[in-house]
Amino acid sequence: MITGNGITKTFRQKGNVLGSREVHALRGVDFAIEKGGAASFIGESGCGKTTLGRIIAGLETHDGGEISIGGTPMGPLKPKQREPYFRRIQMIHQDPYSALNPTRTVHQTLFAPLKLRARQTGRDARWMEERAAEVLALVGLDPASVLSRYPHQLSGGMRQRVVIARALTVDPDMLVADEAVSMIDVSLRLGILALLKDLRERLGVSVLFITHDVATARYIGDDGELYVIYRGQVVERGQVDTIIADPVHPYTQSLLSAIPVLHGLEQAAEHPVVPLETLDASHEAPGCLFARRCPFRQDRCETERPLLQLTDGTPQEHACFYPERRSVVARPVSGV
Amino acid sequence: MTKQAPGARIDDLTVVYKTTAGELPAVRNVSLTLEPGTITGIVGESGSGKSTMALSLLNAVQPPGRISAGSVDIDGLGDVVTLQGEQLRKARGRHIGYVFQAAQNSLNPLKTVGKQLLDLGRSHGVEDLRGLVKEAKELLGRMGLDGARVLDSHQHELSGGMRQRVGIMLALVLNAHLVVLDEPTTALDMITQANILKIVREVHKERGLTTLIITHDIGVVAEVADRLAVMYGGRLVEQGPTREILAEPQHPYTKGLIRAIPRLIGDIDEAQALPGRPPTLATVPKEGCVFRERCALRMDVCDTVDPQAVAHGSRIVACHAVTVKEHA
Repeated sequence: MITGNGITKTFRQKGNVLGSREVHALRGVDFAIEKGGAASFIGESGCGKTTLGRIIAGLETHDGGEISIGGTPMGPLKPKQREPYFRRIQMIHQDPYSALNPTRTVHQTLFAPLKLRARQTGRDARWMEERAAEVLALVGLDPASVLSRYPHQLSGGMRQRVVIARALTVDPDMLVADEAVSMIDVSLRLGILALLKDLRERLGVSVLFITHDVATARYIGDDGELYVIYRGQVVERGQVDTIIADPVHPYTQSLLSAIPVLHGLEQAAEHPVVPLETLDASHEAPGCLFARRCPFRQDRCETERPLLQLTDGTPQEHACFYPERRSVVARPVSGV
Repeated sequence: MTKQAPGARIDDLTVVYKTTAGELPAVRNVSLTLEPGTITGIVGESGSGKSTMALSLLNAVQPPGRISAGSVDIDGLGDVVTLQGEQLRKARGRHIGYVFQAAQNSLNPLKTVGKQLLDLGRSHGVEDLRGLVKEAKELLGRMGLDGARVLDSHQHELSGGMRQRVGIMLALVLNAHLVVLDEPTTALDMITQANILKIVREVHKERGLTTLIITHDIGVVAEVADRLAVMYGGRLVEQGPTREILAEPQHPYTKGLIRAIPRLIGDIDEAQALPGRPPTLATVPKEGCVFRERCALRMDVCDTVDPQAVAHGSRIVACHAVTVKEHA
């Protein structure tokens, strides 16, 4: 179980003569991911979802708040002491083409972490061979045919499986998958998503999925929690299918409205929510961060910032003064 | 200057790439008609030959690739495969606008957008450069941008969505009426993507264009295209009206591709990945159907005979199983 409380992160951009600029990447984010659970962070690029994922994986520092892994707060620990905790959280990057060293075979790629692991636990070379075959089988690859291959001899989907296999060599508790399928061919995407779901069920690995494509978030498990992030703030949170069917925050509704409708298969929603303006990340105001783009904004939204609170009678949470259920996703055409 | 939306007819086009294993076809015997004033979407996975096919509309396939057979006939221009040198350069831009894949990165980082616009104008012999700038500003304004500001900006000062719109402006500013958009929304956010697609639809209508969109994302095509063409392994396997294909795909690959789309609602288990992997230039079968390795309806004939594209009503499908069913 990994939890975060009030995580903040501010990037300071070196500026010109007028001074530097601060970018609030995260503005006090809370999250909790159960052992074997699934969570998805969704939002536009620049919303802070990747930064949060990197902080959780221990690849980035945060300015405020506290991260706890298995009940142990990371704050008071020295970097060296944190290492074993963060080693159990492995990152899967978006681009499997650049995540693998092109001059190394799959065998070499997997053996680098396995050697380290073997030295720590006092295992021998045979264990390494067995473990390599085991993790490859777990990700649905045939060890005999892929071990001697180089990345360029594999398809995008197979490479991503090798990346996941490499992450599994260290027995992780959690995989942080950052847009892990967006560069994979469409016909193979579901295979990778199904694999992540399968690893959750079989190994009890938690999966944190970072994406801008809400639909993919369902496929790592419908029990997953969805965190909708806007400019560093969680604006809506809840079980993935509930949020898709019944979003109450206008930003969530905008995101869902923007998903292309498969005309012929689906019937577009009658009242999609379209944001008024494009994202301007440099605009700082005391009120709701989404107010400038919100078609439903009222006076209060300009002056006061709403905090995350429970949506009436549900376990969902939202950060909006005027939450309203709006059905914005396309419905399947009946009979198809 | 008003022009009619031109039609284009790609006929039996084959494009080969020279490799150490000889010349391999990236696009093979493809025929596709772009009716004047329509938006056609070509969908395919990586290596399906969709970008190569789009480039051949400009006769711009780069060595080691070459168009080895077939013709690309564009109204008011003739067969572009036979055009060369200066003639060809003039046709690009004037007649055919091309928005490149990753238009975000196809701008010159050292020059402002305005300077690049003037370069474009000069190289095409535009005498009225002021008029060109005015036209560009209008186009950018039409797409919701501040034209003057954008023309004064360098690439790094613009967001991904803004650069994409600059790409569309540069493709249209010389009054081309056949426009090719290669992956226009890849790497953009959902909201920006929806915005760009809306612009594409509106500009297409207002200016009377014939538009071709190349994408790997069926959603993009579903959202904007009248007609859909599905490519696999260098072949066009199915084409027809977008809605009809989505509602009732016929080719097993189209069926599989649509089933593989992660959907927002409905039964999670209904969506399934297609088994196997798409072929690459080197692994495309030399004879027989290109899809047979992944096909559930594979028959003996598929191993040896390449299925011909056969018209079934408004649909053109290249599949033995579908043809057999039709004639049974």
